[in-house]
Amino acid sequence: MAFYEQHIHDAPKTFLSKYIFSYDHKVIGKQFLWYGILFLGIGGMMALMIRWTLAFPGQPFPVIGNFLFPSTGGVVPPDTYAMLFTMHGTIMIFYAITPILIGAFGNYLIPLMIGARDMAFPLLNLLSFHVAVLSGVLLLAGLFTPLGAAAGGWTSYPTLSTLIGSPGVGQTLWTLAIFVLGISSTMGAINYITTIITLRAPGMGYFDMPLSVWGLGLTAILNAIFLPVLGAGCLLLVFDRVFGTAFFLAGAAATSGTGDPILFQHVFWIFGHPEVYILILPAWGIVSDLLSFFARKPAFGAKATALSMTTITILSTVVYGHHMYTTQMSPLLTQSFMTLTMTISIPSAIFFANWLGTIWKGSIRFHSPMLFSLGVVFVFGLGGLTGLYLATVTTDLYLHDTYFVVGHFHYTMAASVLLGGFAATYFWMPKMFGTMMNEFWAKVHFWITMIGLNGIFMGMMVVGYAGMHRRLYNPFVYEFMERMMPINTFITWSAIIMGLSQIIFVINFVHAVFFKKEKAGDNPWEVGTLEWTIPSPSPHYNFKEIPIVKCGPHEFGNPNLTGERDFQYQTEELA
Amino acid sequence: MSTVLSSSTLNKERVGRQITSSIAMTVILVTFSMLFASLLLGFTVFRITSEVWPPMGFERVDLFLPTISTIVIALSSFTFWKYERLFLIENSEKKLWLGFTTLLGLSFMVTQMLLWRDLHTKGIYVQDGIFPSIIFSFTWTHAAHVVVAWLLLFYLVPTLKEDVSVESLENRVFNIGKFWHFLGVVWLIMYITIFLF
Ligand code: HEM
Ligand SMILES: [Cu+2]
Repeated sequence: MAFYEQHIHDAPKTFLSKYIFSYDHKVIGKQFLWYGILFLGIGGMMALMIRWTLAFPGQPFPVIGNFLFPSTGGVVPPDTYAMLFTMHGTIMIFYAITPILIGAFGNYLIPLMIGARDMAFPLLNLLSFHVAVLSGVLLLAGLFTPLGAAAGGWTSYPTLSTLIGSPGVGQTLWTLAIFVLGISSTMGAINYITTIITLRAPGMGYFDMPLSVWGLGLTAILNAIFLPVLGAGCLLLVFDRVFGTAFFLAGAAATSGTGDPILFQHVFWIFGHPEVYILILPAWGIVSDLLSFFARKPAFGAKATALSMTTITILSTVVYGHHMYTTQMSPLLTQSFMTLTMTISIPSAIFFANWLGTIWKGSIRFHSPMLFSLGVVFVFGLGGLTGLYLATVTTDLYLHDTYFVVGHFHYTMAASVLLGGFAATYFWMPKMFGTMMNEFWAKVHFWITMIGLNGIFMGMMVVGYAGMHRRLYNPFVYEFMERMMPINTFITWSAIIMGLSQIIFVINFVHAVFFKKEKAGDNPWEVGTLEWTIPSPSPHYNFKEIPIVKCGPHEFGNPNLTGERDFQYQTEELA
Repeated sequence: MSTVLSSSTLNKERVGRQITSSIAMTVILVTFSMLFASLLLGFTVFRITSEVWPPMGFERVDLFLPTISTIVIALSSFTFWKYERLFLIENSEKKLWLGFTTLLGLSFMVTQMLLWRDLHTKGIYVQDGIFPSIIFSFTWTHAAHVVVAWLLLFYLVPTLKEDVSVESLENRVFNIGKFWHFLGVVWLIMYITIFLF
């Protein structure tokens, strides 16, 4: 614990050193937040275009349609549709959720919550943001190439992603962008892991760390181990596309000796399954903390929660085959992967029960971060349960590549991670920017988002169960799907409403950051973790004196507390 | 590193920074191992699903140049180790051994280029199928890392001064050393798997 003490450097003075090339983990965290919100907007717009096409086929996309697709009079063209779902998926996963939960809150929270002055390697941290920007530029550049951006799906399966499937530069740029982003995330992971191990304040054992830090740390470990696997896949794909190697080309395309398109799928999902845990673990950690903070009760079974998260992290490395049941895998393998996947339900059930145990009989304060956290409990429960159908070989053979899958993964990844991100943003706003967001509008935002979200993703599961295939430009050319048009229209209206309600968030956020006069207190939520012992917004170099930790992060209701207070700071020792 | 740790002149700060940087380096090496492990996984798949190896129309790569590469890279690991020891006991011969390492690193890159040229003169190009794809791509990827590591050797030039402080530069020496040895091990595994078998 605290292997050494970081020195306090002078605060930067120029605009560039303060906001652009900052070494400060707090500024880098905010940079990632803006970056993520920007991409969330772009990816969200693309989702709306996809949905518009499904609900109103052949009608021009409102307002910006004519400008974007002049050749078709504003209607989304079929090839563009493929590009849209590809870029939407890619952007949401790698450029919105990842930077917000891991980049922004990882950077912002880890040093503050463990009582450190900064990350272990500030320069590396600075680089990780700028490399991420480079990657974003590479990705978006694809949109302006003659044949358009990548269109082979966010999984980029060959042969769709080989030169034969997509001859344009867009797919090459996509692959490079993901590779470069992998480098950025690895830099982050190195920092997170090292910082958590060596810079915890004196007295802070691993189980005294807030569960948010647990989630972020486990995510960093998964990132460090599995991003290079995707990196290897991307590297070989780029070689195939640029230098003419034959790793993923089979048959006629490869003149002699033959490659194997399925190999890419293996490599992709060896990374891809852990990736969904990479995304969800920080949200789990944050929600586990917030539930306790707002139920004014110690987190129920906090140690078990941390250990369940660890178990899930370990198990997540051996279940990737459940994404490939339909790829001629040996039944022996599909059975094994099914069994392994099912084992994940055990630790998941433990910590889900712990969540419920935490709020059970709590004196719950329904502030906006709590609403969003409860939202996560709800949507993640649905996502987890529907996962069982996809983990089971027999049901997956039918459901695979239908909208049921899309509904399931949006519940787990999109809905719960997104709500977790919002919970975190509302909660740490005072510490990050020194002001609180408006509670009333936060709640309006929550309810519309929650209703919209369930309309969308529940609807997707329903049409998927009825057999609607995903990634089709116009599914209604199939007769049996014609009757699903009304539900699709309903899904789209839910999406439009949910999309519009995000404007409330953006205005609330921008207003609180730039225009709000009224300052937040140092500890407006009355919480005992270390970041709430210092002023809001947190000063340069966080802690003047490195704190000494005496107790865990969720100590509520100690009878020896004096005054009105029901919580105890981590630096306090009460008998 | 253990000899350094036990020396009584160490203070908490120095040990702390040593451990911190070695944890970070370990994470980096884990990521690079996973990269190469994934490549080798790909190789394994092709190797065991193919009835004959090398596939029809290819001969094995002549072992002469890869063997030279192996010897060169093994020697460079030794010279680096020697340099590291001498740096710690502040012996001025360290210059010589870092110099050897740099030269051997360069020679390794030359042997790789000779290998690629040799394959080309035999009419084997990377586009010709899965076998040359593997040989070329894997050696490229490894060589790219060697180039980076070789450039990092120049970052050690400040350690060559006579009166340099060991304490302020030791982490740099250890970490670059770990990376250098690591690339040697990766090459050895590649030599055994893709060239010998
Ligand atoms: C909340 C608003 C959102 C809506 C309305 C929405 C809608 C859609 C639609 C319609 C598709 C295409 C399904 C298909 O036919 O293949 C899709 C795909 C996808 N979405 Fe979303 N989405 C939203 C948010 C998100 C978020 C936040 C994420 C990030 C985790 C995400 C990740 C994905 C992925 C990975 C795909 C698959 C793309 C592919 O098929 O290659 N979405 N989404
Ligand atoms: Cu999975």
